[in-house]
Amino acid sequence: MSRLSTGVEATAIEIKGLKKNYGKIEALKGIDLSVEKGIIFGIIGANGAGKSTMIKILVGSSNLSGGSVRVLGLNPFKDAALLRANIGYMPQAPALYEDLSAQANIAFFGAAHQLSNLKKQVAEVLEFTLLSERKNDPVYSYSGGMKQRVSLACALVHEPQVLFLDEPTAGVDPKLRETFWQHFRHLADKGTTLFISTHMMDEAVQCDKVAIMREGVVLVSDTPKNIMLLGNSAVKIIRGNTEEVFKVTNLPSQLPVLLRRFHLDSSITRIELEEDSLETIVLNLINGKTLEKPQEEAING
Amino acid sequence: MAERSITLAQKSPSSPGHILKRLLAVFKRVLQQLRHDRLFLILSLAAPLMIVFFLKIFFDSLEGPGFTVSRFIVPIGAFIVHFLTYILCSISLVRERTSLTLSRMIVNGYRPTEIIFGYLLAYTVLATLQTLLVLMALGWFFNLDYQFGTQASIYLIIWLLAVISISLGILLSNLARNEGQMLPTIPMIIFPSVFLSGMLIQVDRLPEWAQWLSIITPVSYANNVLQKLIKPGGSLGDDWVSLVELMTFGLVVIVLASFTLKERD
Repeated sequence: MSRLSTGVEATAIEIKGLKKNYGKIEALKGIDLSVEKGIIFGIIGANGAGKSTMIKILVGSSNLSGGSVRVLGLNPFKDAALLRANIGYMPQAPALYEDLSAQANIAFFGAAHQLSNLKKQVAEVLEFTLLSERKNDPVYSYSGGMKQRVSLACALVHEPQVLFLDEPTAGVDPKLRETFWQHFRHLADKGTTLFISTHMMDEAVQCDKVAIMREGVVLVSDTPKNIMLLGNSAVKIIRGNTEEVFKVTNLPSQLPVLLRRFHLDSSITRIELEEDSLETIVLNLINGKTLEKPQEEAING
Repeated sequence: MAERSITLAQKSPSSPGHILKRLLAVFKRVLQQLRHDRLFLILSLAAPLMIVFFLKIFFDSLEGPGFTVSRFIVPIGAFIVHFLTYILCSISLVRERTSLTLSRMIVNGYRPTEIIFGYLLAYTVLATLQTLLVLMALGWFFNLDYQFGTQASIYLIIWLLAVISISLGILLSNLARNEGQMLPTIPMIIFPSVFLSGMLIQVDRLPEWAQWLSIITPVSYANNVLQKLIKPGGSLGDDWVSLVELMTFGLVVIVLASFTLKERD
């Protein structure tokens, strides 16, 4: 496919004050997000958080009620034709023609893009998604995981620059989920930007950056490493038969402070560290729980 | 992060050749689906034959002096094709919406007009077969003995009505979000077609307000043309006004169908 240069841009997706109302229901309440090119960006939240709504707006499949969005510097509504040639979209449901084979489905969606080497690209994505052996079987005979792979292949066939995946691993077994994430990382390494929604909290760690959503609002948007700092860590210091537990946030900077307080006391026989998992932190944020206030004063005192 | 130059693939070409290719891709895919769904295909073709068979039993019991069966059965044949093509096409398109394949097609770059005309062409193939079967069954069961030219003209009118019915199915399915919302349109199509089209009772014998309502069903225009056509020595041009009205009705419905297919909600 020929390429058209449209300027210099570092971000793949730019969302400013995005709002979406369904009647009186506010599905998105003013979202601001920026996604750099070539990364895996995860949108994490419970069902009804507004993840799918946001993706539908970004691919130009749903109107917005307020704010603005840009994908590859393009307006999804005004520049729809140009944008659609450069994005891939995998909806939450498989959205496939069940009577047709995987190959026929992929070829049909690929045919929209007038690819000069469609057959070759269909064969490549079938190979990539490990579907070659059953490419001619009707989709209705596939397992749920295989249908998800066909759906992914349909989104990939025209080698999009930005890939929107709406809960791609829902209903997929852990082994296949791992394979999916390997695929996603492989695509990101090749320069594709992936915008993935999920309600699986443990998938946050697979992303380069995540935004955690609740009820149409982004609670936090950062790297998983930085989000880990929002969690609590427990430092258990054991001296003989006595134990003291100190709760801290930002363990890397607080642990030295804590240890200095004890002047490397020779009676300390053991130090145990317990950290909130990313899943716990995300869950706490989504559930609206205030993170437990750490005993900073005790440490500094 | 260092700034990088964005290089975008050019938008889906919009030359007539490329539009035709995408339209044919939709056409081919719908036909593939019809071919693979054997039960749907068999029922689509068997249903009109069964209806004609039951009509034969019904009309045999009505026959008497002065009763001309062809005055009723030819337009009823047209109605059967009209009704079935409407139902089959509209349900298929609504199914595309509920299964999200429609929005996926659009996000992939298929344009509403390409989808509409691809569907129209594919279902026209099915309607062509249905029309042929209905006419053969009518001829066989009711011993209709028309000359080849008259038969070909009847076929053309019923086929034209079938194409319009597909467009009508597409138009109304564009307004429905799911199969449940499509169901109320079925009586909306059946009742005006049966009672206001002149198929059973001549339109000029209806109350004036009902005569005005007859313009909403394409069957009334087809019936006008067919009634003149099946008279001895009748031809297509005998009621050219109704023929033009039928074609205009079809054109308006196709244009409306193209404009009402929403790209987004």
